[in-house]
Amino acid sequence: MSPGAGTALLAAAAAVALLTNRLWAVVLLTAVLLIVCLRAPASRRWPYLIGALTSGLGVLLISPFLWSSGAGTLLWEGPTIPVVGTIDISTDEIQQAAVNGFRLAAVGLAFAAYALLLDHDRLVGSARFARRSALAVALATRLVPTLERDAIGLRETVRGRGVEISGARGYAKLLSPLVAGSLERASCLAEAMEARGFGQPGATRQPRPRWTRIDRVVVLAAAVVVGGAVLWR
Amino acid sequence: MALAVVSDVSYAYPDGADALRGVSLEIEPGEVIALLGPSGSGKSTLLRALAGLVPHFHGGRFAGRVEIAGLDTRRARPAELAGIVASVFQDPEDQVVMAIVENEVAFGLENLGTKPAEIAPRAAAALDQVGVAHLAGRRTAELSGGELQRVCLASALALEPHLLLLDEPTSQLDEDGATAFLAAVADAECAVVLSEHRIERALALATRVLYMEDGQALVDAPVAEARRWLAANRPRYSAGAEETLCLSNTRSGDEPVVEVDAVSFGYGAGRQVLDGVSLIVRRGEIVALEGANGSGKTTLAKLAAGLLEPTAGAVRRIGRATYLSQDPGRYLVKETVLDEVALGVDGDRTRARDALDRFGLGFAAARHPRDLSSGERERLGLAAVSVSEPDLLVLDEPTRGVDPDRMAEIGALLVAQAEAGQAVLIATHDRSLPAHRRIRVGVEVTDAF
Repeated sequence: MSPGAGTALLAAAAAVALLTNRLWAVVLLTAVLLIVCLRAPASRRWPYLIGALTSGLGVLLISPFLWSSGAGTLLWEGPTIPVVGTIDISTDEIQQAAVNGFRLAAVGLAFAAYALLLDHDRLVGSARFARRSALAVALATRLVPTLERDAIGLRETVRGRGVEISGARGYAKLLSPLVAGSLERASCLAEAMEARGFGQPGATRQPRPRWTRIDRVVVLAAAVVVGGAVLWR
Repeated sequence: MALAVVSDVSYAYPDGADALRGVSLEIEPGEVIALLGPSGSGKSTLLRALAGLVPHFHGGRFAGRVEIAGLDTRRARPAELAGIVASVFQDPEDQVVMAIVENEVAFGLENLGTKPAEIAPRAAAALDQVGVAHLAGRRTAELSGGELQRVCLASALALEPHLLLLDEPTSQLDEDGATAFLAAVADAECAVVLSEHRIERALALATRVLYMEDGQALVDAPVAEARRWLAANRPRYSAGAEETLCLSNTRSGDEPVVEVDAVSFGYGAGRQVLDGVSLIVRRGEIVALEGANGSGKTTLAKLAAGLLEPTAGAVRRIGRATYLSQDPGRYLVKETVLDEVALGVDGDRTRARDALDRFGLGFAAARHPRDLSSGERERLGLAAVSVSEPDLLVLDEPTRGVDPDRMAEIGALLVAQAEAGQAVLIATHDRSLPAHRRIRVGVEVTDAF
């Protein structure tokens, strides 16, 4: 399958996850995408999987406390907090939290599969329009493992000076230097790209493999799945 | 006719100081010029001026004229010069665009409008030229620094440039990676300007030397004549300056600060990096860890510093240990230089200011750490781990990418720290750093003396 068709399929999976309100559908989608992601090498996949699954779990655990549906069976009623109101949990809220949690996990896993398994170079090469945008997306995708490496380096630097980092606040303090470091990298990369003629008019491309029948079928199937999700939520 | 003509060029970056002051030179086709000088002397800026990146990419104040193959760089943008000039920068990770090696090499060719049918063969030929044809289908993210830098060189050579600009291309590489890289440069069929801190290697490759200081070209001469000038005026840049430096007074009677006892370690489910390794570092002693890439030097250093826990064996430490990682200039966490150093002493700015003065960085206390030059960042890293006056100072490749003057300063500093009673453990490829003992790290640890 070409990366273009693969991207279409993953984008369709993410769109379906966002469109459908059926719990079984998003659970199934999440499970399938997780299996797909497990095909990537273990050393590369774990930050993506942790990111996708913990954010989904976070929504599942926290969101029932933050809104009140007024429907379903009331399971627990807590204190009344100013502005927020009465904290309670009902079966309807849990059901909706589960849908939203799996929805987020599915979107995250679709991105993980895109980042881990597709050939971004071929994707950029096959872009018939907006090639610069496609390249920007590919570069941003590659930034994830670089950020992970930089985060480990920053943590090690601070520990190496005899300062222990603990808790969310401790790690949050590393966000600003992490961003500053990635901006510095981006500036160096932009300079290197300009030195290699990026942006010149008249650029050409290596001949790329043509789309196969499977690619066309996959893209068509992706469109049908999204259409189905729109009609049958 | 000269390939490149630099006429009385002066340049200042947008944030201030003059980086080039009245530099003039001509580069003939096929010449190999070793561009030498301390950090901040203007070497990188001159290379960027030859590529047109100064002033187009960086802005700033530019005076004088640079012509490359008849094109005035004030009018021709870097992308327009790309077929004539090709650059390889210091850190390979910061210049790789594509995910697969062969696509990375093809990237520049595509930008220059090379006929589609010619792109793949030219990319393959360039990879072959630098001896990494076997990497063509590999992911760039999975390559070592040395492999990646050679891929960057192949990307540059694929453009068939007339002028190849190399800005400290081996500073992030280990010994083997640097040797392989420079061997590939020797085979390039174009003019080369090589900025390099490994002086002897640069001189062995060069036909001519340009020595810079304070933005000015002090010497522009054939290698033999330049060697004589360097020996007389800048001995740290002359032959013999990179010799092994051994400290004679052994510290066998002093108290051990760290004892690594039959330690084993492996990352995750991977192979054992260290297996039953023992090591003692005593107060007042400098111990250098040597060994090939992947031999476990960094792992042993981290175990000694307490950043890793052994899977078997024990590490006993007395007092406080600090650790300076490789490439410390990349990992800066605070908004000012002063706070960066104060972090290690619970925000004590008085001690931090003293440490900055000791490392010659007092002038930069209020500046953002990322505004410092690479050499200054290295010293900042050292100040940040030394400020707390630890009992054990562990340094991982502290001289990587450091010029000979800074190297001598770091050596003197380590001796001073040891004489003050600290134990110093250094993972290094650099034998010109002073040490009481040199230990070769492998599956077994052996004394290299």
